[in-house]
This record gives sequence, structure tokens and C-alpha cells, in this order.
Amino acid sequence: MLAQKIQKFMSLVFTFGLVMLMTQQVSAQAVPKASPTVTPQQGGTLVMVVQPEPPTLASFLSTAGPVGQVATKVYEGLLEYDFKLTPQPGLAKSWKVSPDGKMITFKLQENVTFHDGKPFTSADVKFTVLDVLKKSHPRGINTFRALQAIDTPDQYTAVFKMSEPAPYMLMALSGYESPMLPKHIFEAGDVTKHPNADLPIGTGPFKFVEWQKGQFMRFDKNPSYWKKGRPYLDRIVARFIADGSTRAAVLETQEAHIAGFNAVLPVDVRRLEKLNHIGMTTRGYEMQSPIVELDFNTRTKPFDDVKVRQAVAYAIDRKFVVDNIWFGFGRPATGPINSNFKANGLYTADVKNYNVTNGIEMANKLLDEAGYKRGADGVRFEITHDITPYGEEWRRFGEYVAQQLGKIGIKVTLRQEDVPAWLRRVYTNYDYQLTNNWIQTLADPVIGVHRLYHSGSIRQGTVFVNGTRWSTPETDNLMNQAAVEMNSKNRAKIYHDLQKRIVDASPIVFVHELDFVTVHNKKVQNFLVSPLGLYSTFDQAWLQK
Amino acid sequence: MVVSRLQYIRRRLLLAVPIIFFIIVLNFLLIQIAPGDAADVLAGEAGSATPEYMDQLRRKFGLDQPIYVQLLTYVSNVATFDLGFSFRHNKPVSELILSRLGPTLLLMVPVLLISVSMGILLGAIAARYLNRWQDKTISTVVVLTYATPVFWAGLMLIVLFSVKLGWFPTSGMEKIAAFHTGIARIIDIAHHMVLPVITLTLFYIALYTRLMRASVIEQNTMDYVTTARSKGLGEKRVLWGHILRNACLPVLTMAGIQAGALLGGAVVVETVFSWPGLGLLAYESLFARDLNLLLGIFFISACLVVLVNLAVDLLYASLDPRIELK
Amino acid sequence: MRDIFRRFARNIPAVFGLVILVLVMGAAFFAPAIYPQGPFEMVGKPFLEPLTDYLLGTDQLGRDLGVGLLYGARVTLQIGLISTLIAIFLGLTIGGTAGYFGGWIDTLLMRITEIFQTIPFFLFAILLVAILKPTLGSVIFAIAVVSWPPMARLVRSEFLSIRNREFVQACIVMGMGHWQIIFKHVLPNTLSPIIVTGSLMVATAILIESGLSFLGLTDPNVMSWGFIIGSGRSVLRTAWWVCAMPGIAILLTVMAINLVGEGLNDALNPRLKNI
Repeated sequence: MLAQKIQKFMSLVFTFGLVMLMTQQVSAQAVPKASPTVTPQQGGTLVMVVQPEPPTLASFLSTAGPVGQVATKVYEGLLEYDFKLTPQPGLAKSWKVSPDGKMITFKLQENVTFHDGKPFTSADVKFTVLDVLKKSHPRGINTFRALQAIDTPDQYTAVFKMSEPAPYMLMALSGYESPMLPKHIFEAGDVTKHPNADLPIGTGPFKFVEWQKGQFMRFDKNPSYWKKGRPYLDRIVARFIADGSTRAAVLETQEAHIAGFNAVLPVDVRRLEKLNHIGMTTRGYEMQSPIVELDFNTRTKPFDDVKVRQAVAYAIDRKFVVDNIWFGFGRPATGPINSNFKANGLYTADVKNYNVTNGIEMANKLLDEAGYKRGADGVRFEITHDITPYGEEWRRFGEYVAQQLGKIGIKVTLRQEDVPAWLRRVYTNYDYQLTNNWIQTLADPVIGVHRLYHSGSIRQGTVFVNGTRWSTPETDNLMNQAAVEMNSKNRAKIYHDLQKRIVDASPIVFVHELDFVTVHNKKVQNFLVSPLGLYSTFDQAWLQK
Repeated sequence: MVVSRLQYIRRRLLLAVPIIFFIIVLNFLLIQIAPGDAADVLAGEAGSATPEYMDQLRRKFGLDQPIYVQLLTYVSNVATFDLGFSFRHNKPVSELILSRLGPTLLLMVPVLLISVSMGILLGAIAARYLNRWQDKTISTVVVLTYATPVFWAGLMLIVLFSVKLGWFPTSGMEKIAAFHTGIARIIDIAHHMVLPVITLTLFYIALYTRLMRASVIEQNTMDYVTTARSKGLGEKRVLWGHILRNACLPVLTMAGIQAGALLGGAVVVETVFSWPGLGLLAYESLFARDLNLLLGIFFISACLVVLVNLAVDLLYASLDPRIELK
Repeated sequence: MRDIFRRFARNIPAVFGLVILVLVMGAAFFAPAIYPQGPFEMVGKPFLEPLTDYLLGTDQLGRDLGVGLLYGARVTLQIGLISTLIAIFLGLTIGGTAGYFGGWIDTLLMRITEIFQTIPFFLFAILLVAILKPTLGSVIFAIAVVSWPPMARLVRSEFLSIRNREFVQACIVMGMGHWQIIFKHVLPNTLSPIIVTGSLMVATAILIESGLSFLGLTDPNVMSWGFIIGSGRSVLRTAWWVCAMPGIAILLTVMAINLVGEGLNDALNPRLKNI
């Protein structure tokens, strides 16, 4: 299913200008400002459709997307973030980064309690980060690699000591990425097998009440939440519905109020947005920036030849794909970096353009040049095209690609497997020729992009890294430079060069930049308060009666 | 050699053991053919799993053992009725199955009861008025409902009754946000049950009606009926008393088979209506490579079939004195 | 023989069913001749309603639904027929051997049959297709594997009863070989229930295939009716015809098969009596 795959790379680790963060000293307000223009009404139950059902509530062990939508109501993080992607106070009311960047002192909010009444202190921070996240969190292992120790001089102060500056770490401290856990509960026993994994106790605005597998999760208002007067909602219920049309129907009949990450299928979104009581937004996903792509196996015939890869890139009508398969949610992609990065100059559109009107003609020419002449039946060669197993739109996409490639003389046989089989095939066995795929480029190319093109990311058995096994020393160098370059103009130049080279070599066909959609009942107010969207605590959300 | 009822039951249950054992082994081996395991699934979802993390997972799930060891462990556990642990759901398999058993029964038992009783009734009527308008109407409608794909019927019913008319909920077993208790909850669940039950019943009524009709027609040719008629017995009452009892038998056999298939049979309806039953659970567990859960469901299902078949055979024997328990 | 045909011809619903079947088979046969480009060709604007540019409208990728239905007839019938033939073959072999030879062979084979009948058949079909990857072959195989047990039981009971008849006993006494007895005497007498049951099995096979397609377990390279329904499932509310048309096609075909099957049954076993 699409949503399941969507949740792959949820990561708040991004660097949005290393230079800004290296020496930043921030003193902040005690509580982030809410900005409703209308007075929020108390009460009500918010019904969220989450697809697919989360496998667990242990967001400290799993970065699967749906987990983030529910666990973030219960757990909080040291920091929150605003739409400019600047850190804001969360459980940490202020923080100071030392001039050499190797030490961060966090001052915690006082008088915060966990749902069982025990106080939240720096001991919990130390335990969570060092004993849980750094050891067992899928991304934490990497995020906190530079972290050596956490001092706790008093119960409201935590001092992070690093072996080297790690500016990206400050971006990884949201309640989604690094939830603060109660030490007194999790220190006993094995945290990877803990009974409280699915009985979360956190500091968040909502308490976990119940999880009926296959049906729903229920979270009730935390009456002793540390932000006085919040949350406004009495209850949040996450509902799990297997069938796509049914998910749309529950929003239509107002049985549910909100559904994000394309839980409501794009085709239904188009239909629902015409209704008076339905609103829709593509905001709240700024930290994801997914790109739909076609991945080649660049080490075997026929896609070891760059001309053949370029031919395929020419053959795809990107606008058709966006309009008809994704119902207009997205825009044609130009390269490995999402156009969201226009804002900070890292993106450039000045690359080889495969999205031309005479694409088929160009493709045919290239294939002739590559030496793959057409046979008597018009076929140049045959391939097998794997379809990523996450939903109907990917099947339509596969069928479309098969037709288009048929026009340029490539006979395509489609293959469909389930998730574990497909992952094995592509990322462990490399037993594929062409597969469709989608990857989150995340909020900084270092995090989301490098892992797809760097030679160091060719790791057999690890999923969602450089599966095409393409790399060049030049591009490796560019990426290494960009990771440490402090001057933003120079950094932009490096990335422009990188984009040009990657697009020329076309190890991946960049089809389109995907838009996620949140469909909601207009009665739901203030659910979108940060770029984390549905991954925020909903402490400010309220329901209009 | 005729045996006593108790001996018969004991023999049947003993015979069932190797059958169930075979089923478990067969399915276990089949699943091994599928590439990828539970660790792959979790890695795929987590999005950033390293080989070390996945090895850790595999050790935790016991997937690093050689296959015959895994099989032996599983079978010996099942023999003590320990169905294992579902790593995906983080719960014992038996607990999971029990929690989903209720909804499955809520769906299948009404379907069974309604379709069998209506099927017997309609089939008898159709046979009684053979080739007249009652028969023609019933037979036509029955053929149509039998031929309609179940999921298609379900989708159409949702579009008409839920979305357009708003009479019934679109999905689920109860209104989630309401948290009813007591009578209110019962009514709520009943309200949610209507569409899925209707969808499934349509198909099964058709099945039983045709069966009953054919069965009654067949009984009509039997000697005892001719005898009874020639004896001048009142056509309608007594004849129906005789014919019905015998004609029901094939229907009951079929119902027995359906009851046995009860657990997994409604996957499609459960998908369309998001009904939290065992069929859907089994389907999901396959794609999550949740071996213990999938095998557990097959195991329970097989046990149910054995028990139901036994019950039907015993019922037959008591209904028809000519049948002996061997 | 002629009696059989005559009885069948008088059965109006059966003839009606036969006409539909002939149409469906005709569509299956002539599809490549009429539309050689195939059903996957994207010919028009997506989601065109029926009776506009295309008789039955277009689907999400602008494919002609009418062409899809014609080719779908081919694939659907193929799947139905081949899987049923395999199931009949399996059923005949296993059930026939069990019923004819009796004894421990019978017990063993019936235990095996029982095993397959005890597994929930639809779940098992899903398991098989998922494991073997959804292709035309795996779908046919899966349907055959879950369909043969009832046929085996039927064949067994028929063989059993015929074998105990006097004329067969006589053949054995005469020293006739088993194969001769089976093929010359036993099999021909069991043909009619096998034909009837077999024809109904084709209908069931088609329904199983559509159920599997609905769940996404279908060969992505072949367009069966179930495939079309599966592809139209998410757009049910906007483009109802993508689901509706193949659904109607399945309905008509399965209904037709059932009518013909029942007609065959009535024609071959004329024991109808009015009450």
C-alpha cells in the first residue's frame, strides 16, 4: 500500500544551513504561541483515519509512518519546529550550543509529569537518548553517533557532549523522531521487548487508553498536561480501515474527521474536495519531499548503457502520469533534488530535460544508437518491470510504463510481488532490471539524497539506499564536499553540479514530485501548526461544534 | 462393524490428528517458499534498517534457526496448544485469534442460520410448485444472486445504502468514536452488521435454495413417497413431514462444510466492509510473513472443520436411522 | 443421444444460457482479430463515460473498456476452463483410484482428500498465489488445487457404486484387465455427473479468480475481468462503469454456465416428476 511505503523515511534529521546552526544560540519562550484567530472550543472526539494500521506504538523502535501519526499524541520531544524549520521549545524550554559546537545544554520545562504522575526529569532524557535511541532506534543509531555522554547536573538540565559538531542533531529532537520515554518504566527489562511498547506512557497531551487491533486506538485527554488549558479535544480515536473507498466514505459521512498521507486515495480526494464540509491541504509534509522514480539495475544489461537509460527517461510523459494516475497531485520532477529546495537555492532546473514533446522520437534514436535495433516484430529487447507493492496507483504506473516502452520497442513483462519479496529482490539480491519506486528526499540532501547515489551507500541487505549501484568518483566527491560546506552559495553550486551529472547519467528516471494530501472535515481547526503536520501532538487542535 | 457413539467420536478425533499435523507442515513449508521474512517486512516499514538490526530481529523471532528446527519447535508447541507469539502484533497468537473470533462469529453465524433456513424454505417452495411461476421466479433470482461476485455486491450495497441513502454505516463493526456500552452497543453493532450479513447471505441462500430444490425433487422419486401417497396420506402435511426431513440432509452437509470454512471464508467481505474478522487477519499475516499467526489461524480452522464434520455426521446418524456409525 | 439434445432444447433457461456462452466464447475467440492492438493500449481520454466515444467507456489509463471485456473473456474463460480441467483430472485420478481399488488405497487417498478439504479453500488459494507470485499459471494452479476435492469425492462414490454392480463383477471374473474395465465400463457410466459438476466448477473457478483479482492477486500482464474490476475498485464512485461492466460480464457468464449445467443435468437424468 502507498501509505505504508510513504512512511519509510520519516526523518526530521535535516540540515537547513549548517552555518546557521553551528553557532546558534537560542533562547526561547516557555510555550510556543498558538495562533488561532477564533477562540478554540473545548471538547469533542477527533476521529483520524490512519492507513495502514501501525504495527506498534513504540516509536522509539519503529520509524514506520503510521506509528508517527499516533505515538506523537502520547510522547513529546525536546523540541518542536515552525514552518521556517527553526527549532522551537518543546520539553526543553531553552538550549545553548557551545561555540565549538560540541556541547548543547538543554534547560527542561519544570513540573512536567508523565501520564502515571511521575515527574519528567533530565534522567529521563539521558536514559531515552543514550540507552534507547542511540542503541535501538533505526535512525537514532546514526543520528546520535557523535553523542558520547549526557550530564545531568540537576533534574532540569541535560548537557549533551559530542565528539564532534553535529548540527543536524538539533533537527532530530521532535516527539516523532526522538520521543522522551519514562526511565522508571523502561529501564526494567529489555526495551526491545517491553510490555509497555504498546502501552505507552509519555508526557503528551493525550493518554493512551486502548488499542483494538484491526479497529481503532483510543487516546483520552491528559488532564495534567503541562501546557495549561490544553489540549482542547477530549479524545482522539485513530481508526483503521482496510478498503480505500470505505476510507473516503467515512469522511464523506462525517464518521471520521481527518485522514492524511493519502489514506484517502487521490481519486477520492478530487471527489471529496467538492463537498462543502471537506477541506484539503498538501501542507504539513514539507519534511518529506517524496519523488516517484524508475530505478534501473545499472550493473546488468541492458540498463548498464546510459543511452538506454536516457531513452527510457525520454519515453515517459510525466504530465500524463501526474494527471491520470495521481489525479494531479504532484508536478513533473527534473532531478534528484525536490523543487521544494528552490527556497534555499539548492535546487536547479538547469539540467538535461527529458520531459519533451518529442520524447518517443528521441528515445527511439538513442536506442538505435545504442545498437538495439528493432527485430522483425518491432521489438528491440525484453525486460521485466517490477512494481512496487504499495497500492493500485503503482500498478497503473507499471502498466503505463509497459505501454510507453512498447512504443519504443521494449517488450515489458510486469511482475508483482508482496513487500518482503520485493524488498529482498531489489535490495538484497539485486535481481531486477527496472522497478518503480518512490523515495523521500527529506529536508536536506545530505539525509535523503546522498544515500541514493553515494558509493558508500551501496550496502547489500539494507533497504532504501543505493539500490541501482550506480556511482562515480566525481559525484562521490561532490557529495562529500557538500556535506561539510558551510557557505550556502558554494553549497548550492556544488549541488547544482551534482544534479546536472546525475540527471545526465540517469541511473534513475525522475518522474514526478509527489504531493501528500490531508483530507479533513472543516470543523477540525488548528491541526496544522508545524511542518510535521499529522506528526505533531494535536495539543492545539479543536473541533468546531 | 457398528460401534458405539463414544467410540466413534474417539476414533474420528484420533484420525484427525495426523490430518491437522499434515496441514500445519504443508502450510509451514509452503510459506518457506515465499521470499522474504518478517524481518524484511519490518525493515521495509521502518525504512532504515541496517543488516545488523535485521539480524537482531531475526534472532528475536527465531528465524535464524534452520528450517527443520523451526518446524519441530512449532509443532511441539502446537501439540501443547501453545500457538506461539505474533511478533508483528506483539501478542500471543491465541489472544489475537480469540479477539477476532467474536466478530467473525457475529458475521458468519447469522449468515449461516438465515441462509440455511431461508434456503430450505425457498427450495421447498420452488420444488413444491415445480415449473410454475413460484419456481421460475425463485430459480431466476437465485441464479442471479449466485452468479454475482460477492465483493461486487458488497460494493454496490455500500454505494446505495450507505452513501446515497445513508441508512447504514459504510464500514466497521461499531461506531468508533461513540464507545457505546450495553444495549446501545448491541444496537450499534447490529446496525453495522446488516450490510455485510446481507452481502454474504445473498450468495449462500442461492446455494442452499438450489440444493434443497434438487434434493426435494430427488426425494419425490423415492419409493417411500410413492408408498405414502398411495396410502392416501394427506398430501401437504404428512408428506412434507417425510420429504423435508430427508431432503434437508444434503443441505445440512453443505452447511457443515460452510461452517467449517467459516473462519477464512469471508476475507473478501471483511475487506470491503473492514470487518475485523479472522479472514482479514490471516490475509494480513501472510503479507507480513507473520508465520505463527497465519499457521495458528489455519490450525484453528482445521480443528473447527474436523469438529463440525463430526457433528454433522452424528446429526445425520440420529436423523436417518439407516445410517450406521462405522 | 438425440433424446438428450431434445430434452435440453426444450429447457428455455438452459438454451438462453447456451446462447450467452456462445457469445462469450465468440468474443474470446475473435477478440484478437477485431482488436489486434490488445486491451492495454491507451486509446482515449481516461474516464470517458459509456456511450460517448467508446461504447463502454474508458478506464483510468484511457483504455477501451469494451476491448478489455472482449479480451477478458479470453483470459477468464481460459482460467476457468484450464483450472477446471486440471481439477477434474486430479479428481478423476485420485477419486477413481480410491473408489475402484478400495482398501488401504481408498483410505490413504481419502485422507489426503480430507486434508485438502479441511484447509479453508479461499485462504489457501490466496496463500498459493501470493507465494508463487501472481501469474496466470499460479492463479490457474491455485484454483485447481482448491477445487479438486469435491470432484474426487464425487468420482469415488460413483466408481464405488458402479464397481459393485454385477456387470463389472462379471468382467472381473472374465479376467478383463483393470484399465479396460475402467475405461470401457466404469468411466462412461460416471460421465454425466462429472460433466455436470465440472461445468459448475468452471463457474466457481471464475468467481474465485475474480475474488483473487479483487484482492490484487492477479497477473499484471493479462487482463481478466477480475483484473478490470480490481483496477476500477478505487475509482468506483467516479467511474462506476469500470467495475460495473466486468461485474455484469462475470454475472452473465456464471449464470449462463449454471443454466447450461442444470440443463445438462436435467437432460442427462430425466427423473423429473411433478409433485
